[in-house]
Amino acid sequence: MKSILLIDDDKDFTEVATHIIEYLGHIVSVAHTVEDANEWIDNNDFDHVFIDFMLPDGSGLHIYDHLSKTKTRTPKCTFITGNPKIKQAIGSIAGPSVDYLMKPIEREDIENALQKKTVKKAGSSNNKKLKADSVSKATALPKMHFGCLIGESSAMQTLYTMIERVARSSANVMVMGESGVGKELVAQAVHNASDCDGDLIATNCGGLSKELIGSELFGHEKGAFTGAIGQKKGVFERAEKGTLFLDEVTEMPIDMQPNLLRVLETRRVSRVGGTQEIPIDCRVVSATNRSIDDIAKENVLREDIYFRLAVFPIDIPPLRKRKEDIPLLVTSFLHELNAEHNESYEISDAQLKRLLDHDWPGNVRKLRHTLHRAFIMGEPGGKTIELPSTFASPFSQMSTDEGNDGGQLQAGKTIEEVEKALIYATLDEVGGNKTNAAEMLGISTKTLYNRLHAYGDDA
Amino acid sequence: MSKYQKQLHDIRKPLNTISMQAELIRMLSEKLASQGDDIERLDASALKIIASAKDCSQQLQDLFEEIEHDQSNQPD
Repeated sequence: MKSILLIDDDKDFTEVATHIIEYLGHIVSVAHTVEDANEWIDNNDFDHVFIDFMLPDGSGLHIYDHLSKTKTRTPKCTFITGNPKIKQAIGSIAGPSVDYLMKPIEREDIENALQKKTVKKAGSSNNKKLKADSVSKATALPKMHFGCLIGESSAMQTLYTMIERVARSSANVMVMGESGVGKELVAQAVHNASDCDGDLIATNCGGLSKELIGSELFGHEKGAFTGAIGQKKGVFERAEKGTLFLDEVTEMPIDMQPNLLRVLETRRVSRVGGTQEIPIDCRVVSATNRSIDDIAKENVLREDIYFRLAVFPIDIPPLRKRKEDIPLLVTSFLHELNAEHNESYEISDAQLKRLLDHDWPGNVRKLRHTLHRAFIMGEPGGKTIELPSTFASPFSQMSTDEGNDGGQLQAGKTIEEVEKALIYATLDEVGGNKTNAAEMLGISTKTLYNRLHAYGDDA
Repeated sequence: MSKYQKQLHDIRKPLNTISMQAELIRMLSEKLASQGDDIERLDASALKIIASAKDCSQQLQDLFEEIEHDQSNQPD
């Protein structure tokens, strides 16, 4: 059961679409204007939003923009249009969580949009031309495991085996790993591999205030508190016969945790302001970027809840420990970007070597962002993407300073590796200005250019 | 958006309603086969289909008359 916001100024359409979506087993809220839609979005969390492109007081893109800016987790968005030309405008923002439907809409279109997995296979799109391109290059694309994971390293093979094993059971899973390793994708993989009928419902425990978290998790009855204008089902109810993903579970306020424990123990939930106990039937996959030691030491999660949630813990390896997967990830991301923007950029061997040489403290997310930036920076109509002069970020620099594992000044590194790291860190410090960087490093500009050339960076 | 594009957009709206009401009737029929308790909504859906078809027909007539009018005003 998903919570859906349907936005269209055509009341005949919203009426019939509401009936159809409700018959498919979901909850629907309706807005006819941008203003109404934004009000719904500000006061509720939705799993999927259907947006008409043209509304009386603005464009559907205004609503998408509002969603992106105000929500920590942007729901899946499906634009509805009757004008084929508008597909191009939507295509420019297309990503894993955005697609579109052309009127007239059939029941199967709605079903497909709602059932579509969170992560599309690389290059999948409703655009027939792009689809054709994807098929022609499909042989070169890396294998997608469980419909959403990429990598053939031994660390990933171990992860796949764990996902396969736990999917056969109904055990709760706790996914651990550094920021950016893809914890939500692993939750999606567990859900995809499980033989369950329900949906994957996700919520971020760190992004909810104390006042709202009870209502989000357990739902509320009409009039339970100021602003509770109607009954609302919580995520436990909505994930019936499916999977509930609790992201950043260790950031949940400690005084709310006894309520969560009770639900996990009794498998029954009471809505806020309600008296009836409702049975629940879902697997809980939780995620945290804290280590077990941190969880225990910092007292962020009650021990009894930890053992309820981490019946089957899964540790996702950081990208630096599976560098052989970088070329596969790069191929997939680049193909996806090329398909979305109808381009044909490639990556050179020297650029790929630079990516392989980096430790990626921000993991796969940072790699994806770096590729996206390099794609944008590529010369229009050109062949090759343009990587930044350095991959360092202020956050990874902080980690280095703290002597974190992701740091670069470690015994065992060669002087050449440290020199390279220093050059790129200096370039980052001076915003890429090579003259200033050379002066700060105490070398000539020519020497700096020679070094960068040797690293395969001719920028 | 040109005048004809706007009319095309307006014609698609009732057509979309026709198509979706028909989908709803199919879904209700499937449910009725096992329960038989949604006759009123089934009837309402059928009425919507008729109304949308009439709306579409009227808009097509308007479009036809407008095109005819535009053509008669064109210089020979």
